[in-house]
Amino acid sequence: MSRTRLAFRQPAGIGFGAWYLLAVAFLFAPIATSVIYSFNVGSLGKQTSLFTGWTLHWYAMAWRDLTLRRAVETSVVASFWSALLATLLGSALGFTMVRHPVRRVRSLLSGLTYLLLIVPETVTGVSLLLFYAVTRVPLSLATLIAGITPLAIAVTALIVRAGVLTLDRRYEEASADLGANRWQTLRFVILPHLAPAVGAGALMAYVFSFDNLVVSTFLTTPRVNTLPVYLFGSLQYGPAPTVYAAAAAIMFFTLALIGLAALLYRLAARRDLQARYQ
Amino acid sequence: MRGVTPTARTPARQRIAVPTSDALLAGIPAAWLFVFFVAPLAFTVFFSFGHSTFGGIAPGFTFDNYRAALSGFYAQSFLRTLRFAFAGSALCLLAAFPTAYFIARHAGRWRAAALALVLVPYFTSFLIRVMSWQILLARGSAVETLLNFLHLHSGPLDVLDTQTAVFIGIVYAYLPIAIVPLYVVLARIPATLVEASRDLGASPWQTFLFLTLPLARPGVATAALLTAVPMLGELVVPTLLGGDKGVLIGRAISSQYIESQNYALGSAMAVLVMIAVGVVVALLARLTRGFMEVAP
Repeated sequence: MSRTRLAFRQPAGIGFGAWYLLAVAFLFAPIATSVIYSFNVGSLGKQTSLFTGWTLHWYAMAWRDLTLRRAVETSVVASFWSALLATLLGSALGFTMVRHPVRRVRSLLSGLTYLLLIVPETVTGVSLLLFYAVTRVPLSLATLIAGITPLAIAVTALIVRAGVLTLDRRYEEASADLGANRWQTLRFVILPHLAPAVGAGALMAYVFSFDNLVVSTFLTTPRVNTLPVYLFGSLQYGPAPTVYAAAAAIMFFTLALIGLAALLYRLAARRDLQARYQ
Repeated sequence: MRGVTPTARTPARQRIAVPTSDALLAGIPAAWLFVFFVAPLAFTVFFSFGHSTFGGIAPGFTFDNYRAALSGFYAQSFLRTLRFAFAGSALCLLAAFPTAYFIARHAGRWRAAALALVLVPYFTSFLIRVMSWQILLARGSAVETLLNFLHLHSGPLDVLDTQTAVFIGIVYAYLPIAIVPLYVVLARIPATLVEASRDLGASPWQTFLFLTLPLARPGVATAALLTAVPMLGELVVPTLLGGDKGVLIGRAISSQYIESQNYALGSAMAVLVMIAVGVVVALLARLTRGFMEVAP
């Protein structure tokens, strides 16, 4: 404790502290701006960079905008299914990345997961568009969901993998010694331990899918349009004030979900700590 | 690629009994990712050698698409993208390092909270965060007033729709993801090592150059990777903040698919981006002997 105090007193510590505060201000300025401007009156029914007064009008307008509402509905449905698939497949992937008995399979699975993270989304998106075009699958909600799952799966897999890495292998061995088969061990020993990581992974998958813009840009149609794609499209014609209202509302919702994910993850971490120091 | 689907196939030498459960748990996600991720990428590589037909694409074996993608306008935008990713990633690292350093070394018991605070924005909508810069950087905005007040700038702000705006947006968008790996390596450096270096007479600068920086290398590599790779395919930030000038390759690829419907050329350009990503990964891996593993 006293060392930290000392560090703060050093000129270098103050410099770094100032830099940190600047970074935080930089990171939060746009978020604060979008929230504040969602209440901006604007002028002539347009958003302006000048703040002209407070109103709740845009929230009501956004609520009544049917295209916007349909986009939100599509986003909610698509990210729900994507998160569900990512939770099931990503958890399985995250588990087998660490625990599959064959080393080559393990490294293949992690290779695949890291590949998912390093291929730019633009490339993934156009590849999927080409894939659907060549295989003559018409674009629909299902193709959109299938297209945004891989990234969500990778995110969930990495979170669950981190959980598996802290899981003591001896629990599994003990369970096997006591006569449980592999499924029983998975169901009654491993899954309860991983539940918080799986929960956090599911929420992150939902958030990532909901926010997905680049891949979705290529897979949406006028009939199946997600919220980010709709907002992105409408921005090209100058920001409509309703965009900020809708965006701010969604952001509060997302932040609440993130808070929940963080809480779950913390609970998991605490349990690990207890397990380790008992 | 071949080994992805047959999950439980072991070489004859090391015959390991794979429980059905593990085979299924590995096989199902692998199969799903194979269909919706690996196969589309393979299609892109395959058709990058094909021809675009009217509203479609036909297989073939020609390098014409690559020739087109590597000449004139597209070559320029490809080079511009490489420079952009390099500069953007460097700027991100420069901004992230002191921030991560502060969290790891000076935040004391507020470490976790300090880290969480810089991470929160990363998880809010990417689009909203970027489009807010349109308001912040516009003429007559709060930023203009503030800069004028601090005498850092005088007169109206003419930043929107320029490269500067794109760099602000890009550093903004990827700063949190650069901070995390740097924080992890810096936090791992034992305080005793730093003290020893000081006791042995090293100046703070010497300690930083010869102790902290070398030990932080894997984190630097990971941060560079996590920022440079998405920048190579960046589509949203330049579109929203950069105006029409200086088209980057992400935008060029996207317009081949959405506007020109020239899938073959778009595929060749996408393959070039993947090659660039591969080179970046290989270079960084070489420079730092390995990456750190960080969850997203």
